[in-house]
Order: sequence, then C-alpha cells, then structure tokens
Amino acid sequence: MGREGRIVVQADCRDIQERLVEAAGDTGGLSAAEQSHLAACATCRAVAGAELGLGRLLERAVPPADPEVVEQVMVAVAPLRVRRLLAVWLPVAASLMLALLGVAMVGGVPGGSLLAQLPVVSSQAWLYLADAVSDWGVAMSAAAGAARLAMPPAILIAAVVAAIVGLVLIVAATRRWQPVARWHRSG
Amino acid sequence: MKRGRDLQPALSDEELVAASLDGSQAAFGTLVRRYQRRLTAFLGQLVGDIEVARELSQETFIRAWGALDRFDPQYRFSTWLFRIAHNLGIDQLRRRRLHTVSLVRQDAEGEEVELAVIDASKDPLGHFENRELAEAMRVAIGALRSEYRELVLLRHFAGLSYQDIAELKGMPLGTVKNKLFRAHSVLRRALQEYL
Repeated sequence: MGREGRIVVQADCRDIQERLVEAAGDTGGLSAAEQSHLAACATCRAVAGAELGLGRLLERAVPPADPEVVEQVMVAVAPLRVRRLLAVWLPVAASLMLALLGVAMVGGVPGGSLLAQLPVVSSQAWLYLADAVSDWGVAMSAAAGAARLAMPPAILIAAVVAAIVGLVLIVAATRRWQPVARWHRSG
Repeated sequence: MKRGRDLQPALSDEELVAASLDGSQAAFGTLVRRYQRRLTAFLGQLVGDIEVARELSQETFIRAWGALDRFDPQYRFSTWLFRIAHNLGIDQLRRRRLHTVSLVRQDAEGEEVELAVIDASKDPLGHFENRELAEAMRVAIGALRSEYRELVLLRHFAGLSYQDIAELKGMPLGTVKNKLFRAHSVLRRALQEYL
C-alpha cells in the first residue's frame, strides 16, 4: 500500500472510530462500506468493543433517580407560582385602582370634548389640543385639591400606598426579566 | 392548580414547558422527573459531592420554574436547563475555592499529589458496589483535561447529544466530535482493565 493509501485507511479508521465513540460502540448504524472496513480492521473492532464497555461503565456511573429531590422541588415551586401571579397582577390591579380613583375624583372620563380635538393636519388643531390639555391639567389640579378636602384621608393614603407597591413590583418584575447568563467559564 | 404524577410522559419538553406556563404544575413535575437523575449526576461530577449536587439540582429546577416565561423555545429545554445547572455548579466551586484550602500537596520527591477525600456519603460514584472500579473511574475522569472532562460530563452524565453540546458550548459540531474522540481514547486507556 502506497503512502496515499495509508492515509486513506487512517482517515477511514478515524471517521469510523469517531462514529463508534458517538454511538457508544454500537455498530448497527454504520453503512455497508463501514461495516466491511470494520470486518477487515482489527483496530476498529477493538475500539468498538472497548466503546461498548466504556458506554456501559459510564451509564452505570449515573446514580439512580432520587424521588426526594423531585418531591422537594415540587413543594418549593408551588408558592413561587402564586408569587409570580401576584408579581404580574398586583401592578395591574394597583394601576386600575389608581385610574378608577382618578376618574372618581374628576367626576368622570373627559370624553368627546378632548377626543374631538385630536391632531388633524392644521396647526390650528394642535393649538386647540394644547389648550385642551392645559385646561385638563388645571381641572386635574383643581379636582385633586378638592379631593384632598373632600375624600377621607384613608382612601388617599391607600391610593398612594397602592401606587408605591405597584411601582416596586414593576421594578422587581423588570429586574427579574434579565436573560439567564451564558455558559460560565469553568476555569 | 393541577397536581399529579407523570400525567404527560409522552409529551415533548416543549409541550410540557407550554403546559407549565399555562399553570400545570404536573407538567413541570414531568420535566423534573425526566431530568432529575441526569442533572444530579452531571452536577455530582462537576462539584464532586453528591449531597451538594442534590441541592444544586433542586435549585436548578426552582430557577428554571421561576424563569420559565423567559425560556426561548427556539432552543432546547435540556440545553437551557443544563446551562443553568452548570452556572450554579461553577458558582458553587468558586465559593468553595474561597473557603477551603488546597488539597494539592508536594510529596517527598517534590511531585504534586492531590489528597483524596474519602467520604462515601458524598461520593458521586457512591452507588457503585465495586469501590475499586469507582475509584478508577473517579481518577480517570478527574485526570482528563478540563475541556475534555466538561464534554464527557455533558455527554455521559447529562446525556446530551453532540448537537446539543455544540449548541450549548457554542462550538462547531466537528470540534465536539474531535474532543470527545480524544477524551474517549484517554478514558479507554485508563479504564481498559474494566472494559
């Protein structure tokens, strides 16, 4: 066999041995050409046998299942589910409560008068809108002042607390939303 | 809340993740049962202590549950799960390195030798009846170069495919094949009397 021939045989051996390593020594997946190589090559047959043994050994090295771990995980995740639901819905509930409170304080939704002046092409319409927003701000300010006088302090405090809790939960939920870190370097 | 033992053993990981996100705790339980054994085995070899590995595998599942809504379904659940586990394992090793002294000592001839810690209750291969074989495997796996060892753990203890390992490690598939081929050559030589 010439030099080139030897290289081809070595390359074949390497390819087949790589496949044997991947298949844990199982020769069933080899092609007909690879099977005939295996029949003629004692080195590759030895690798197949050793890989079969190594595969069995490594499989035995995996400890049996541990039902206790499963049980403990399931106990631990149950309250996390409730916490996750709260983290999602509490900010929404707090926001809704504040919105309802606001609506109650100003005596209803502003409705058509403001919506009718949404931007159209003319600059005059933008001026109308700015005017309306300004009026709306004045109205809000007056309503808030009236509410401070008219509403029981407990409701106002509850609204402020709800807003703070909502904000804290939104921040906390956002912080949790970081992607899981990439594969740490082992070194 | 839905509870119960393996209600959906035939479902794929992705289907179970979707069911878990819909609130099925039983679906997540199936995933836990599916991966607990491999996860503990992988972590046991990584940190060298089966008790710590059990705790870390619990922590891995709890973190996975907490972050399930961030799981990107274009990746495999198994690679995502083992990435979380690996990161926890490495963090654990770093913490331990800060609190322990080295077990590597110099012998009379100036050679570095690692002192063996023999505590069968913590040995990741403690379930082996043949202690001699367990010790031979511990030494053979421990003696692998770290880049080979990591791939052997992912392949044989985590049970991941070559493709999954390539994806998880961000390596070309050919590199994974090549490294595992070399790692196996070393393991075959080291363990030849047991094969």
